[in-house]
Amino acid sequence: MRRQLRSRRAPAFPYGSRYRLDDQDEVNQNYLADEEEEAEEEAQMMMASNSEEEKEEEEEEEKEEEEGQGQPTGNAWWHKLQVINEYLWDPERRMSLARTGQSWRVMIRPFAHSLNFNFNVSEPDTWQHYVISLNGFLQGYNDSLQEEMNVDCPPGQYFIQDGDEDEDKKACQFKRSFLKNCSGLEDPTFGYSTGQPCILLKMNRIVGFRPELGDPVKVSCKVQRGDENDIRSINYYPESASFDLRYYPYYGKLTHVNYTSPLVAMHFTDVVKNQVVPVQCQLKGKGIINDVINDRFVGRIIFTLNIET
Amino acid sequence: MRQRKLEIYSVEHHAATDIKKKEGRDGKKDNDLELKRNQQKEELKKELDLDDHKLSNKELETKYGTDIIRGLSSTRAAELLAQNGPNALTPPKQTPEIIKFLKQMVGGFSILLWVGAVLCWIAFGIQYVSNPSASLDSVYLGTVLAVVVILTGIFAYYQEAKSTNIMASFCKMIPQQAVVIRDSEKKVIPAEQLVVGDIVEIKGGDQIPADIRLLSAQGCKVDNSSLTGESEPQSRSSEFTHENPLETKNITFYSTTCLEGTATGMVINTGDRTIIGRIASLASGVGNEKTPIAIEIEHFVHIVAGVAVSVGILFFIIAVCMKYHVLDAIIFLIAIIVANVPEGLLATVTVALSLTAKRMAKKNCLVKNLEAVETLGSTSIICSDKTGTLTQNRMTVAHLWFDNQIFVADTSEDNLNQGFDQSSGTWTSLSKIIALCNRAEFKPGEESVPIMKRVVVGDASETALLKFSEVILGDVMEIRKRNHKVVEIPFNSTNKFQLSIHQTEDPNDKRFLLVMKGAPERILEKCSTIMINGKEQPLDKSMAQAFHTAYMELGGLGERVLGFCHFYLPADEFPETYSFDSESMNFPTSNLCFVGLLSMIDPPRSTVPDAVTKCRSAGIKVIMVTGDHPITAKAIAKSVGIISANSETVEDIAKRCNIAVEQVNKRDAKAAVVTGMELKDMSPEQLDELLANYPEIVFARTSPQQKLIIVEGCQRQDAVVAVTGDGVNDSPALKKADIGGAMGITGSDAAKNAADMILLDDNFSSIVTGVEEGRLIFDNLKKTIAYTLTKNIAELCPFLIYIILGLPLPIGTITLLFIDLGTDIIPSIALAYEKAESDIMNRKPRHKKKDRLVNQQLAVYSYLHIGLMQALGAFLVYFTVYAQQGFRPTSLFHLRIAWDSDHLNDLEDNYGQEWTSYQRQYLEWTGYTAFFVGIMVQQIADLIIRKTRKNSIFKQGLFRNKVIWVGIASQIIVALLLSYGLGSITALNFTMLKAQYWFVAVPHAILIWVYDEMRKLFIRLYPGSWWDKNMYY
Repeated sequence: MRRQLRSRRAPAFPYGSRYRLDDQDEVNQNYLADEEEEAEEEAQMMMASNSEEEKEEEEEEEKEEEEGQGQPTGNAWWHKLQVINEYLWDPERRMSLARTGQSWRVMIRPFAHSLNFNFNVSEPDTWQHYVISLNGFLQGYNDSLQEEMNVDCPPGQYFIQDGDEDEDKKACQFKRSFLKNCSGLEDPTFGYSTGQPCILLKMNRIVGFRPELGDPVKVSCKVQRGDENDIRSINYYPESASFDLRYYPYYGKLTHVNYTSPLVAMHFTDVVKNQVVPVQCQLKGKGIINDVINDRFVGRIIFTLNIET
Repeated sequence: MRQRKLEIYSVEHHAATDIKKKEGRDGKKDNDLELKRNQQKEELKKELDLDDHKLSNKELETKYGTDIIRGLSSTRAAELLAQNGPNALTPPKQTPEIIKFLKQMVGGFSILLWVGAVLCWIAFGIQYVSNPSASLDSVYLGTVLAVVVILTGIFAYYQEAKSTNIMASFCKMIPQQAVVIRDSEKKVIPAEQLVVGDIVEIKGGDQIPADIRLLSAQGCKVDNSSLTGESEPQSRSSEFTHENPLETKNITFYSTTCLEGTATGMVINTGDRTIIGRIASLASGVGNEKTPIAIEIEHFVHIVAGVAVSVGILFFIIAVCMKYHVLDAIIFLIAIIVANVPEGLLATVTVALSLTAKRMAKKNCLVKNLEAVETLGSTSIICSDKTGTLTQNRMTVAHLWFDNQIFVADTSEDNLNQGFDQSSGTWTSLSKIIALCNRAEFKPGEESVPIMKRVVVGDASETALLKFSEVILGDVMEIRKRNHKVVEIPFNSTNKFQLSIHQTEDPNDKRFLLVMKGAPERILEKCSTIMINGKEQPLDKSMAQAFHTAYMELGGLGERVLGFCHFYLPADEFPETYSFDSESMNFPTSNLCFVGLLSMIDPPRSTVPDAVTKCRSAGIKVIMVTGDHPITAKAIAKSVGIISANSETVEDIAKRCNIAVEQVNKRDAKAAVVTGMELKDMSPEQLDELLANYPEIVFARTSPQQKLIIVEGCQRQDAVVAVTGDGVNDSPALKKADIGGAMGITGSDAAKNAADMILLDDNFSSIVTGVEEGRLIFDNLKKTIAYTLTKNIAELCPFLIYIILGLPLPIGTITLLFIDLGTDIIPSIALAYEKAESDIMNRKPRHKKKDRLVNQQLAVYSYLHIGLMQALGAFLVYFTVYAQQGFRPTSLFHLRIAWDSDHLNDLEDNYGQEWTSYQRQYLEWTGYTAFFVGIMVQQIADLIIRKTRKNSIFKQGLFRNKVIWVGIASQIIVALLLSYGLGSITALNFTMLKAQYWFVAVPHAILIWVYDEMRKLFIRLYPGSWWDKNMYY
C-alpha cells in the first residue's frame, strides 16, 4: 500500500523547487513546460538529495502514524491515511487544513522583482523585459492550447466537480484572446511601445476557496496618492473587469492539472508621463478584504508607473 | 626618634613594592621563592623595629613623646591619629563595585554575545546605508543580545553581592572600647582612636586594643591564642625577660585577650603596624587563586566558545563560497554563535551554587565565595588546626590514677557520664583535694546554665578540675564553704605545686586538712605514704614504680598530669587557733600521703573521629597542623583517627624493635609526626616526598609561615587543599589554601577575613557535610550542563541546514533566546536539587586536572547523540507544519531564495496555491514556533534523562525531586504563554500554534528517554567496557 502510495506521489511532485524558483523568469516563459524535462530534473534532484529524502520519508512515516492516531479506526483507516497523506484535505469541510478562512491575495504580471514600472517609451531596452515576461506568462493561455486541454464551461456559475478526491478535474478555458488589446496578439509590445502599458492582475490560487456567494470579484484601479487625474483612463479586459465564477473552486494542482488562473488585464491608456504615479488596484466584492496592513497583497496591490517619453 | 620612624616606614614601603613585584612574575616557582623571601623579610622586620621592650620607662616617654602619668594631650593624640590613621586593620582590598559589575558584563560568554550584538548593529548600519527600508530584524537581535548580556550580568552581580552581604553582616562587631589616660584624665574611647604613646589600662576580660608595652601589671595573664594558636594563659608583667618581643613578658599584642589581673601600658603600635596587622597583611599578600570550579567553567566556556566560533567561521566561509551576500553571512555567523552559546547557563550555575551555599549554611557551613562551594567537594587534602577545630579548646579531665589503677573519665562535650568506679575510699579523698585545692570559681548568676557551659574565673586546668568536681560532687562552692580555707599557697613556677589548708567539715574532727596538687614528680617527692583503697600504705619502691608507669603512660597520651596528696595535720601540734603563715610555711610539706594522679587534655570533639573516618573513606587525606607539642598532637591525632590505630611512625617502630631511628625503613611507617624544627631544615623536595609518602601526617610546633609552606607543598602535589583554623596565625594558610575554613565562634576576625568558608558551629564535621554538598553540586552541574548543551545542536542545525540546503529558516535567533533564557532556565536549576545517585562519599575526590566538569564524553553524548536526535525531532515538527500548509519537505530544499524574496508574492506550493511574502513570513514564524515547541517537548525528556548519569530513572525515582516537575511545568507554561499569549507581537516571531503540533515531537521524546535508559543499562551491565568509557560522562 505504502509503496504504491509513494510511487504515486513521485509524479505528483512535478515541479522541482529549483526549477521553479531559481529561474523565475524562465518559469514564466515556459509555464507549461515539457513534462519529460521536468521528470528528468526531478530525478536528478532526487538523486542529489537522496539521503535527505530518506530521512524525510522516515519522518513522514512517523507523522503519518501521528495523524493516523487522531482518525477513527476501521476499514477506512488506510483509505483515510492515503487521503490525508496525499491531499492534506479535510473532506468533510471540503477545505485544505491549511488555508481555511483566508482571503484573496493578488499579484500582477509582468513580474519585475519590484513593483515599480519605470521605462522610457523611446528606449525599447527599458521595457523589452516586460514584454518578454508577459509573453512568456501568456504562453499557457494560447487559444490553441486552451482549446486542446481545457473545456469551455458555462460562465457565471461555479464549476463544481464532485466525485472522488483523487479524480482528475477538468479546467475551464481562459484564452489569451480574452485579453483583447492586452493579449499581445495585436500589439506584441503590450502597449509598452506607445506608453500605454498593460498590466495583468491575477488572484493567488487557494485550494477550494470560492469568491463570496455568487458575485464575481471585480477589479478597480485608481491613483493611490496624489492627483486622481494622473490616470485618465483604464481599459479592463475582459471588459467586465472581473474574475468569472466558472474558474472556481480550484481543486489543487494534483488533480486540477491544467487549471489556468483567470486574469484581468489593466490597460493604462492615458497616464501622466514623466512622473511617478502610484497605482492601487483593489478587488471589490462582497466579503472581500482589501485593507490589511501587514500583508500588502490582500485584496489589493500597489505599484508605480513612471513612463518617460 | 622621628628619623627612626621614617626608617620603619621605608621598610614597609619596600615590602609593598616587593609584593607588587612578586605579582608581576609569571612562573609559579619564582613566585614561591619570592614569597618565601618576602616572609623572611617580614620576620626580619619584626625583630628590627621592635625594641621597645628593652627600653626603660623614661626612654619610652621620650621616644613616643608622652607622659606616663598624664598621658597624651588630646590635641597631640588627634594629630597622631590624623598622621597614622585609625587603630584598625585595613580590611582586605575590595574591588570597586563598578569593576565587579563590569567584570560580570564581559566574563564568560558575554564577550561573544557583545561581539554578536555589535556585528548585528554594524550589519544593519550597512544595510541601512544601501537600503533605508531594510528590515529591523538585526537591530532587534542586537538589542536583545545586549539586553541578555546585561541582564545576566546584573543577575550574576546581584547573586555575588548577596553572598558578600551575608558576610559583611556576619563580620560586623560591636565596636571595641579602651580606657585611656589623656590630659591626666581617664577616658573611655573607641579603640580605633588609640594612637601611639597613649597610656591605656587593661583589666581581665578585655581585648588588648593595640600592641602595648606594659608599664605596670598586677596578676596579669593573657591569652595569646589568636597569635600563636595555643590558649595557654601567659602571665605578663612590666619586666623585660626575653630578647624576642614575642616572648618577652612586658609586651601584649593587639587582639589577644587579658584573662585576669590589671595592667597599664603604653601603646607602641597601632592598626596595621601591630604584629597581628603584619600577619594579616601577610595573608593578604598571598594571592587569590582561581577556584577549581572557576577553572572548570572557564574550560567549559572555552570548549563551547571554541565550537561556536569555529563552526561560525567555517560556515561563514562556506556561506561566502556559496555566494551569499557577506552581510547575510555575518548574520549567519551571529546566529550560529547565538545558537551555540548557552546564554542562560552561567546564571543557572550561579543559582545552583548559591542554592548549595544556602543548604550548606543551614548545615553550619557558611560559604563566602559561591565558587568555593564546589571547591570543598574536590578537596583532597584537609590541613586542620588542632586547638579549637579538632578539639574542644578547653581542658578536661581525661584520666585518673588511684588505687594503682587508671580510670577513664568522660571527655565528651557534656561530660555528664562519669562512669568510673567511685566507691573507693581513695576517690573520696581525691575528690576532696580536687574540690578544695582549687582557686577557680564559677561566675555568679549562672546557676541555671549547664555546668560545662558556665563561665569560670581561673586558668584552664583549674577550670577543668572545678567543672569535673562540680559534675561529680555537686555544689563545689558549698563544699568549700563547709571546709573553710585557712591558708593557701598559689601555684608558681618555682614551687610547681599549689597548697591549701582547710578546716574539715566534720565538726568532731578538729584536725586541719592540708591538700596539695602539682607536678607529679614534685608531689611524689613530698610523700612518704600512698593511699590504696582508702588506706594509707608506705610508699615503697614498687608503688613508686607503679606511679612512674602510670605517669609515663598518661604523659604519653599527651595529657597534662597533676599529682594530688593530702595530709591531716595532727590536732595536738596544730590546734584550731594555730596561725598559719604562707610566707614562712610553718606547717609540714613533706611526708604527706599521696592520693592519686589526674590527667587533663583538651579533648577531641566527639564528632571529629567520625568525620575523619568519613573523610578517609571519601579519599581525603587529613593532615594535622598545630602549634602544640608533638606528643599532645600525636595523641589527639590518634584519638581522632588522623593517625589510625594500627599505623606507626618511624619513632614507634624504632621503639618497638629497639633499634635506632636511622635503621628503620622509612617505607614501613605509615604515619609521621614532624615538628616545626624539622620542617625548617627540609627542602621543598623533602617536604614533597614527605607529603607524598605518608598517608598520615601530623605537623607540630609550626609557625604561621610554616603552615603556609605546608599548604604550598600540598598544592604542589596537585591536591585541592582545604585548611581549617581559627587563629590569626592560621590566616595566611587559610588564604593560600584552595578553600580556607575559619571557625565561626572562636575564630579571629583575621581568620574569618582570610577564609572562604566559615564553620558556624566550629565543628570539623561540618566540613564533611560541605564536602558532600560540594561533590553533589559538581555532579549536578554536570547534569545541568549536559542538559543545556543538548539543545545547542537542535538550535544550531537549523542554521547549518538553512545555509547549505536552503530550507526556509526553521527557527529564528530571537526564538532561540527564548529557549535558552525562557523554557530552559528553571529546569536546569531544578537539576541542582537532584539527590546523589550513589554514595558520593565513598569515592575518591576528583582529580583537578583529569576529572573535568565537561569532558569529551559529555560533549559527544550531548551534542552528537541526544542533541542530534532532538534536532531530528524538531525538524519533524517543522516539516509537519510546512507539509500541512502545503509545502512538502522535498519542495523546501533550496527554496530559500524564493522564500525570502520580498517581491515574489505568488510563490506556488505543492498544491498549486500561491503565497505572498507576508503569508510565507507568517508560516515561517509558525515554523519557528513549531521548532521551538519541538525542542521544548524533547527537552522535557532530556530533563528527565539527566536526572541520573548511571542509574535507571526508575531507581532514582521520578517524583523524588519535585522541583524537576516544577521545571517541566514551567517549560510548558512558558511555551504556551509565548505561543498563545505573545503570539501577536511581531518582534517576537511567535504565532499561535495549532494544538496538534504540540504532540508531534512526543514520540521522539520517548525515543530519547528509551535510548538513554539503554545507555545507562549497558553502562551498568558492562562496567569498564568501551561503552562505559565512552558513554559515561
